[in-house]
Amino acid sequence: MEMRSRLNRFQLGALLAPGLILFGAFTVYPIARLLVVSFCDWNFGSMLRQQWIGLDNYREVLRDPTFRMVFVNSVVYTLVTVPGQMALGLIVAMLLSGVRRFSVTFRVINYLPVITSWVIASLVFRYIFNTEGLLNYFLTKVLGVTSQNVRWLDSRWGGLTVAMILGIWKGVGWNMVVFLAALQQVPQDLYEAAQIDGCGAWKKFWSVTMPSIRGTVLFALIMLTIGGFNVFTSIKMITGGKPAHQTDTLLTWMYYNAFSAGKFGYAAALSFIMALSLGLMAILQFKAMKNADG
Amino acid sequence: MRTLKNALAILLAAVLCLAGTALAESAQAPVTINFWHHYSAQSAENETLTNVLIPKFESENPGIKVNAVSHEWAELHDKILVSASSGSLPDVARCDIAWLPEFQKMGVLVSLDEAMPDFKDASGQLLDSAMSTASIGGHYYALALNTNSKILYYNTEMLKAAGVEVPGTLDEWVDAVTKLSGTNANGQQVWGWDEPALSGWNVCPFIWSFGGSLTSDDQTVATGYINSDATVKAVETFAKLAQGGKLTGFNSGDIPMTDGFGTGRYAMMLEGPWKVAELAGAYPDVAYGTAPIPAGDGGSVSVLGGEDIAMFNTLNQDAAWKFMQFMTGEYAETEMAKCGQIPVNKAALTSDTVKSASFAPYLEAIKTAKARPTVAAWSEMDNALTTEMTQVISGEKTAKQAMDELAATFDELLKK
Amino acid sequence: MKSKKGKWAALLRYLLLLLGAAVSALPMLYLVTTSLRPNGALYEYPPRFFPRPGALTIENYQYILAQSKFYRNFLNSAFVALTSVALAALVSSAMAFAMGKFRFRGRRLLFGFIILTMIIPGTTMIVPQFELATKLNLVNKLWGLIPFYAAWVIPFSTFMIKGFMENIPNEITEATWIDGASVMTVYLRIALPLAAPAIASVSIFDFLTAWEEYPWANTVINDTLLRTLPIAIAGFFGQHQFTQWGYVFAMSVLTLVPVVVVFVTCQRFFVQGLTAGSVKG
Repeated sequence: MEMRSRLNRFQLGALLAPGLILFGAFTVYPIARLLVVSFCDWNFGSMLRQQWIGLDNYREVLRDPTFRMVFVNSVVYTLVTVPGQMALGLIVAMLLSGVRRFSVTFRVINYLPVITSWVIASLVFRYIFNTEGLLNYFLTKVLGVTSQNVRWLDSRWGGLTVAMILGIWKGVGWNMVVFLAALQQVPQDLYEAAQIDGCGAWKKFWSVTMPSIRGTVLFALIMLTIGGFNVFTSIKMITGGKPAHQTDTLLTWMYYNAFSAGKFGYAAALSFIMALSLGLMAILQFKAMKNADG
Repeated sequence: MRTLKNALAILLAAVLCLAGTALAESAQAPVTINFWHHYSAQSAENETLTNVLIPKFESENPGIKVNAVSHEWAELHDKILVSASSGSLPDVARCDIAWLPEFQKMGVLVSLDEAMPDFKDASGQLLDSAMSTASIGGHYYALALNTNSKILYYNTEMLKAAGVEVPGTLDEWVDAVTKLSGTNANGQQVWGWDEPALSGWNVCPFIWSFGGSLTSDDQTVATGYINSDATVKAVETFAKLAQGGKLTGFNSGDIPMTDGFGTGRYAMMLEGPWKVAELAGAYPDVAYGTAPIPAGDGGSVSVLGGEDIAMFNTLNQDAAWKFMQFMTGEYAETEMAKCGQIPVNKAALTSDTVKSASFAPYLEAIKTAKARPTVAAWSEMDNALTTEMTQVISGEKTAKQAMDELAATFDELLKK
Repeated sequence: MKSKKGKWAALLRYLLLLLGAAVSALPMLYLVTTSLRPNGALYEYPPRFFPRPGALTIENYQYILAQSKFYRNFLNSAFVALTSVALAALVSSAMAFAMGKFRFRGRRLLFGFIILTMIIPGTTMIVPQFELATKLNLVNKLWGLIPFYAAWVIPFSTFMIKGFMENIPNEITEATWIDGASVMTVYLRIALPLAAPAIASVSIFDFLTAWEEYPWANTVINDTLLRTLPIAIAGFFGQHQFTQWGYVFAMSVLTLVPVVVVFVTCQRFFVQGLTAGSVKG
């Protein structure tokens, strides 16, 4: 619709203004401030004195061996949970799209983990994976798979594994819903054509389903990657970063630096490095999808 | 249109709620002071504070209301730092004595001997040794509230069953811990020793009793002290026990201290007087005894702990001061003594309640206990210590390597 | 005309779906059964999934509900979540309409910029946001949460609703427009009602976000009485020497109940809205 009068232009502005003001004040301004802080020396001690130190914070972050460890943790977490929950979500969606009875029940049950808060879900998993917990009992006494209790929460990879299992468990339902919607949009005649061509189920999947839902896959991929790097509450509740920050991910490490070590400048630089990495990944994913077009 | 109506309805409800809360807030008394502490929410101390002490204080001081907030120990420290940077500090807080140098350096504490005319009256009622923890650079920044130390707790049944005597020396201790570990009748693993964390509060008793130390006496240098042979030996012994499955408690998945000791999974531990009340409440059936920490080359040296009640430079200093005087007064100290908090009020210490609370073993331990370094950078040093200990136990570094690196880190931090 | 093979295939489908549903549901079931066990039984040996029939108790719930704090925390969470959602719904739908139905200079750039900020993880902004909250004197207040939550969900909400708005056939909006209606009239009379499902489902998302948010609330809120439910639950858990899982889980169940109820009753909206936005995207 084209603009006609000044009144209408004003009203349009009025529609945009509240959102932009709220967004600008509470999101954009902090981001800008974060950028500025990342170039300053701002620690608890130097509260009022914020000196411009250029890229020193960034240098300190990149040289920090803990940063590298934490970065690897985040990357591994994302690389495992994102494809994991997407694959499982897609499988469940495909299974569900073919059934009619109880489909709503299945959808609701599978979506329950998604609406459970991270705090609660993390605590439940912590309880289950506790060294003295139910899962270990199951593994040692019932299944007899191991003789000693597995110390899930006590090591770097053990703790991360629990977090990753939680991440996948919690995300499958969301993927299921998204893919269900996408699958319903695929024109049936494509399947029929493939059937006529003598395609088996596998070929049908790759030649018909996947290309048709490509847009949704990209959407989910980008959103989930951002989510993967955003993992915070589950790590905090499950291991708290212990032992010695080995189960920390980028965000929990940032939080520790900001609020326990008081190194605001360092934390800000870290945040931007994270954002840049995410941006890069999003662009790469976008490009990869575009190229898969052929 | 319906959506709009619904939206308006929600907004109206929200506004009403807001009005409600605003009304509730304005109906309060003129002065409210914020008191932050780390008595755990379900503890006897918090019960006493909320149901006995604060009501008494408020009835004696109409016009002052106390808003007490419980934070977990480490969180309290971080929250105070963050609040300092945003100008939203509480009025009064119960601080670990180890934090005072740090807070004082940030300039958020009030110099009480200068600001309060009746300071001498208040401090005169309290033990000199305890008040010394609040003295920095010739001025006093808090009133002593509690003092404590840790002694050995042992499960009598488990020691009898294993034929082990209560260890008196560190060698006997290593022996005992080893013999007491294994599996119990249910086939579950049991440990000879529980240590809930790897920070200074936990490892210092061992370091000192083995004859090691953290820094030089004037607290300026750490090299030669934190990486001395005695310290390294202490760390090695500790780590070997942990690696051998004889000592645990600091991992995320471990049974919490009280639960473990109460259910007979941990045979021995080092804890303070508050444990008595905790065990009586949660696990009244466990039979245990106490003893001083086993002696090594350095003697039987435990770690000196305690809390001071400090005032921040907010606007309610007079009301805050009254509350501080109340909390360090005879009545409050005696009440808290019932929960296992050793009082520093001279009058309270002579009362029957305190005498019957059998603080004797702890007071003995306090005589020889050492304090953790009283420097502003202690929190950071503590974190570094925990990290190094973790790496030694996980086998990433030898004790010597870790302590050498720690010495370098400490030297840096001590310079600040 | 289901062939034998078809019947087996269907059976297999249902079995797999059942397995999946079990995996999704089991942890939650365990949460509930544990909350019905007395606190002391939590280190019992051997650990059981279902408590012994005689050992079921509601004492954990009684304890939680007896504390007046809980109601306060619940109300705090409700107030914060509902207000944030209302605020977000209003401003996002307005922006979505403006950007979806009108062409103006810089529209693409503006929308792109808003979406781009989603790359920055919300938790990283805590430090400058805390500084801002201090300046605005919002620390330790519930209003220190609301505008931040609303601002956080604006990009996603606007994105979703805009997708829906763009799907509204132009003829419908054009009709009123040509008749001389103002922008506001088209918005209020036509676009909003039509976009209601999308707004509703986005609001459910936003509600969930605000209801369960932890890092920011933990930073801003100090007072016990102002705490929201996630902080209260984490607080119960945070004590080192004792872990009172019974209370923690009872409180968790009480926190989950409204969410589950809302979801189950509105789940149709949910799927619809999510569908519309994502497929377009």
